[in-house]
Amino acid sequence: MLLGVTDPVAYLPLAVILMAAIGFSVMNLVLTRILGPNRAGETKALTYESGMEAVGTARKRFNVRFYLIAMVFLVFDVEVVFLYPWAATFANLEVGSDDRLLWLARILFFLFTTIVAFLYGLRKGVFRFD
Amino acid sequence: MAAKIALIWPEIALFITTCLVMLLGLSPNKQWRSLCLPASMVGLTVAGVLAAMGMGVGGPVGDTPLPYLPGFIKVTVAGVGLLLLLLQAGLIDRREEALIASGRAFSALRTNRAEYFALVLFSLTGLMLCASAGDLIWLFLALELTSLPTYVMVAMSSSRNRAQEAGVKYFYLGALGAATFLYGFVMLYGGTGTLQLATMAEVIAAEGVNTITMAGLLLSVLGLAFKIAAVPMHFYTADVYQGAAAPVSAFLAFVPKTAGFVALLLICSAVGWTHGESGNALPEALRIMLWVMAAVTMTVGNVLAILQNSIKRVLAYSSIAHSGYMLVGLLAGPGDGTFGGSGVSAVLFYLAAYGVMNTGAFAVIACLERKAADRGEPMEVEDFDDLRGLWKREPALGVLLAIVTLSLLGFPPLLGFMAKLPLFTSGISAGEIALVVVLGLNSAIAAYYYLRIVKAAMIDDPRGEPGAADSAVHHPAYNLRLVTGLCSALGVVALAILAGQLAERVTEASGYIAPVGPSQPVGSATVLETETLPVQLPMT
Amino acid sequence: MTMFAGTLPTLLAAADGPFIATGSAPQWVALMPGLPLLGAALCVLFACLNVKSKLPGYATVALLAGGFVTALAAFLQGPDGYGVATIFRWIHASIGADADASITANFGFYMDGLSMLWMLFVTGLATVIGLYSTEYVASDKGLGYCRFFFAFNLFVFSMASLVMADNLLLLFLGWEGVGLCSYLLIGYFYKKPEAVAAAKKAFIINRIGDLGLLMAIGATFVVFGTLEFRPLFEMIAQGVDGKGQAIGHTWVVVVIPLLLTAGAFGKSAQLFFYVWLPDAMEGPTPVSALIHAATMVTAGVYLIARMFPLYAADDAMVALTVVAWCGAITAFWAATIEFAQYDIKRIMGYSTISQLGFMFAGLGLLGTTGAVFHVFTHAFFKATLFLCCGAVMHGFGGQLSLRRLSGVMWMKGFGITGVCMFIGCLSLSGVPFTAGFFSKDMILAQAFATPDEMIGGATFIGLLLLLTATMTAYYTFRVFFRVFVGPRHFEPGEDDHGHDDGLGHDAHAHHHHNPTEEEEGDALHTGFHPHAPGWAMNGAMVLLAVGTILVASLYFVNKKEDHGWAGTMVRHSTAAYPSPGLAHGKDKPAATTVEPLPLGAPAPEHGQAGKPHAKAGTFLGQDPFKIMYYVSAVLGLIGILAAAWFHAPKGAWGLGIGNRELPSKVRMDAVAARFGPIPKWAENKWYVDELYHAIIVKPLLVLSHVFHAFDKLVIDGLVDLVGALPRWLGTLLRPSQSGVLHGYATGMVAGSAVLIVLVVLVAMWS
Repeated sequence: MLLGVTDPVAYLPLAVILMAAIGFSVMNLVLTRILGPNRAGETKALTYESGMEAVGTARKRFNVRFYLIAMVFLVFDVEVVFLYPWAATFANLEVGSDDRLLWLARILFFLFTTIVAFLYGLRKGVFRFD
Repeated sequence: MAAKIALIWPEIALFITTCLVMLLGLSPNKQWRSLCLPASMVGLTVAGVLAAMGMGVGGPVGDTPLPYLPGFIKVTVAGVGLLLLLLQAGLIDRREEALIASGRAFSALRTNRAEYFALVLFSLTGLMLCASAGDLIWLFLALELTSLPTYVMVAMSSSRNRAQEAGVKYFYLGALGAATFLYGFVMLYGGTGTLQLATMAEVIAAEGVNTITMAGLLLSVLGLAFKIAAVPMHFYTADVYQGAAAPVSAFLAFVPKTAGFVALLLICSAVGWTHGESGNALPEALRIMLWVMAAVTMTVGNVLAILQNSIKRVLAYSSIAHSGYMLVGLLAGPGDGTFGGSGVSAVLFYLAAYGVMNTGAFAVIACLERKAADRGEPMEVEDFDDLRGLWKREPALGVLLAIVTLSLLGFPPLLGFMAKLPLFTSGISAGEIALVVVLGLNSAIAAYYYLRIVKAAMIDDPRGEPGAADSAVHHPAYNLRLVTGLCSALGVVALAILAGQLAERVTEASGYIAPVGPSQPVGSATVLETETLPVQLPMT
Repeated sequence: MTMFAGTLPTLLAAADGPFIATGSAPQWVALMPGLPLLGAALCVLFACLNVKSKLPGYATVALLAGGFVTALAAFLQGPDGYGVATIFRWIHASIGADADASITANFGFYMDGLSMLWMLFVTGLATVIGLYSTEYVASDKGLGYCRFFFAFNLFVFSMASLVMADNLLLLFLGWEGVGLCSYLLIGYFYKKPEAVAAAKKAFIINRIGDLGLLMAIGATFVVFGTLEFRPLFEMIAQGVDGKGQAIGHTWVVVVIPLLLTAGAFGKSAQLFFYVWLPDAMEGPTPVSALIHAATMVTAGVYLIARMFPLYAADDAMVALTVVAWCGAITAFWAATIEFAQYDIKRIMGYSTISQLGFMFAGLGLLGTTGAVFHVFTHAFFKATLFLCCGAVMHGFGGQLSLRRLSGVMWMKGFGITGVCMFIGCLSLSGVPFTAGFFSKDMILAQAFATPDEMIGGATFIGLLLLLTATMTAYYTFRVFFRVFVGPRHFEPGEDDHGHDDGLGHDAHAHHHHNPTEEEEGDALHTGFHPHAPGWAMNGAMVLLAVGTILVASLYFVNKKEDHGWAGTMVRHSTAAYPSPGLAHGKDKPAATTVEPLPLGAPAPEHGQAGKPHAKAGTFLGQDPFKIMYYVSAVLGLIGILAAAWFHAPKGAWGLGIGNRELPSKVRMDAVAARFGPIPKWAENKWYVDELYHAIIVKPLLVLSHVFHAFDKLVIDGLVDLVGALPRWLGTLLRPSQSGVLHGYATGMVAGSAVLIVLVVLVAMWS
């Protein structure tokens, strides 16, 4: 029953973990600085691009569809993630109960929003590659 | 659960409208595209009517110690939201539409209309959801749904760099604020063991406020201070209001502020105004925090406003000051439940009044534009000089500005006065005499800069000839904004006359059910049950 | 007494307590505020129609005259018409079934003797001064003309709402409304920076007083649970608060009256607040006459008279003692400043402050009848004086200095002005059988009749007021002797009272042809011709001067029963009070007959329970109300003779003792030279404005700059501080943000930390 506990002492382990985490990261940064060899050079400062020769700078304007596709992908990706737990819970609900109807309504509403998002992307011309 | 759905029909209606608007705005057909604004307004009206229908006795009520709050807030949001929507006319895609009219092909990627109106409606939906909240997760999500669209709106509102800069600033600082109150919510959960506000109220009534809960409360209040633009989270206000276009500034002054106050009211109601020696105050530490915050906020807001030359910065600082005034009502609490005795009803009254009159002030600013000396794109009015002699050039705008400004100043018999009065009386009832004196002094200081606006508009001579390059004029494309100004000035007068009715509504809405502790000993399973949450949180 | 019998509303309180009108007044009293409101709306309409004639002015006068007729009709009904007239429900919020838990503020009017008396002179003077204004601002026809009459109408509406309100909230509405109109009208000549600054000063100082009033209203609601006059006064008459507990010896009867007094002093320009009124003289003269002399500035007197039962409920009379002392000191203080002023309008402004001091002293000394009568007479004679000054100012291009004007009365067209001025001066100086004589005497006598045990230091206040009365006679006739009689001379002012468009002004100059014989000794300004007042201005001045003469006769109306007409009105109002020395036989209802008392005998103990049983005082062993006639007449004469000796010209108009030959060289100069720098200090108003600037305005600005500096310097400084931390930390931690954003975030976090530390400290400490 961790939740009922309001005595600050009970949270001591948390504080220890927190400090350990901060200490570890700071220590890593500092130790790398101190211990690691530091050989700066032109080659080392070059942009690494999967072994290919870098062309131009990274501050280049990409086609906006590059990002749009990524975001539309996210929409459907997240949708699927939500569908799994829903399906798992829905199977456990009593057949014919009000709960079942409510849960169905919920997921339908959720899917409706996804469809709207899809339609929006479609109208915006995200899926056209011309 | 079904009761909860009955409560959120307005939000559902608004959401469906949002979906529709998002698609409408992308139509290549100009007629369809121009339906965005009317469709949004119809949807908001429907949402408002749905909320109003549920407002009476027997309607759905929230599951917090302030159960009648949602109905009133939603009707207010719908009312002021209609004004704000009307104000957005002509803001987005003005150049793009002109180019299309002159033969350019329509490109869905280049227009922003659909997104913009969808963002506005999303934000209003979030605000309504705030009022419906019964638990902290809902409240947090609703608050973020209210705020996230506003960050984008600021950046979209103008093609100037200043708007982009304001948007970025607003976003980062907003994230800091959100993180603060989210951390506060987490500690509230840790301290009371529940996310449900009603259950939390019972726990606190039974066992008092422990250290962790208090820390959570203080952090939540500090984080929410960002939403209402209160000290010490007020720094962004002037820059963001100035950077954004005037219609968006009007939106920022009402929507996040209302969301913040609703959240503060809900959280304070869960803590209960049942502490202190008199038994009708907030816990001492929270009371001190709010006291200092209220006093400093109104003083800083008013005093800094005196120094400004930019009219939008003045309105921004005055918006800070108004938040300080309302904090007095929050501090006073429900008192004896009467209008004039209840600080909660005073806050609700003030929110509605502030929404109407502040929108009017920004509407007048939004109507005016200045021809830029160098390039084609017109500029917004900036400083007091631009308002000089408004009454001579645009009599209607001058009178409107005078009415709403005097109302903001709290001049009887206008709405602002009717709204400020219960703040005074509830403060006195709660025994916060010193704070009421600070409030009074600040009202006197505020006269200085509000009168500067009235003087510039009504008394001074116009600068330069009408039609000259640097004179601010009303652009015909903004006639809908003029209508907004007219509506809000009318509202300022009409609501002052109907103050009695409004007072009854807010008194109903501020009905407070002081929590009593559960009969079972604290810590038993019943307290921790979170039955309406679909996913059971892991509890060991 | 016959007026008050039979079917009349019953007296609720004890026989000599306040009169509470319980009947209902006719609905048509709403015409008194209604007609000016209609006028205001018409003026807006005229502005939109771009009317360029005098139509807005004449429409205003017609509507205001309608208001005056309504007031007369209501007055002629007598006490039968006293009561409440509810026009519409404004605010009524009740909670649940519990009817007690409600706040009610109707748009309703409470008519009794007090509001009736005020409405009579407010509507009457507004009509006459409106007529005068139609000519005075004629050069500004068009938008400005509409704006002037819009504010004028709105002022009368607000004043009527203030006076007739049946609840404190509506009263406050009117209170702020008159303040706003005053602001708008003072700033009417917006091209003069002084006028704009004066308008702002007036408004802001008034807001500080209003804060007191607002807090008093809040406290009244909290204590009594109502803001409506009738239930409020019923409770006060019974000495209980809203919960039925006695208020006699509690903070209620001390703090609320003191807060009300702060509001009253702000509006009526009394001690600590008075600095705005002299500056307000920058406004157009009709405005000074109506608002800053006759009506608005008496609102404070009205407020205290209206709430008098609450003041009198305090056995120790703390608030009333404060009122009496502050009033007397203000009266004296303002009079000293006048000695060294040279701007005739400012002299009249300080004179108004001084006379208002008399009224407050009268109220504080428990003499409500005297105070209210003085309000009434003062409204007439001071308005006359202002209109005459305005005529001079209008005629001589804004010239107001008494060193640059002389013998104005003998110039062509200014005869009527001079005669009216003379009548006004006589009344202000308190020359026997003038209106000011009777009303001022009642206050002076009251000071000696009221025993020191009731109001601490009443006798001293009386002596101070007697001295002030002498000074009043002196400074009043100083103006008259220097400006209106003597050798003819003038130097025109810099501007033609603020209108620089010159349109109407040229028209004026044509009307009034060149009276060359009047320009003695002034070759520089041969191009300037004084333009004498026209029919509207002359008519208004004559009407008011005649009124000034006639109101004196009111002292003899109902003399036996009520000490004059004002007494009758006061007796039928909440200001009714058994003033010591006046109480015998007159303030008792008809049922109680009291034997007439022999002269000089002590007045009977008045019957109100709980009051100290003090005897009315005497003056030189006589009844002050009898002997004061002679005392004040002699003192007034001394003042006038002094003015004549120091300032008057040779001849009959100098009473044979004057010797002035040049406009700016008088005997007084030699006397003043002996006092070293003191006259200079007085001319600079004892540097009170500078003092206020140093202790109030400066700190506020400094505070403002401190906050600003905090925003700009400290926050940015913090950024620099962060930047100054070791470089590796900086490169590790600082993301590429703009400095300002960084600073804001730092400010937010630091502010939160300060707040939390503060809360923890306070919580631990308490």
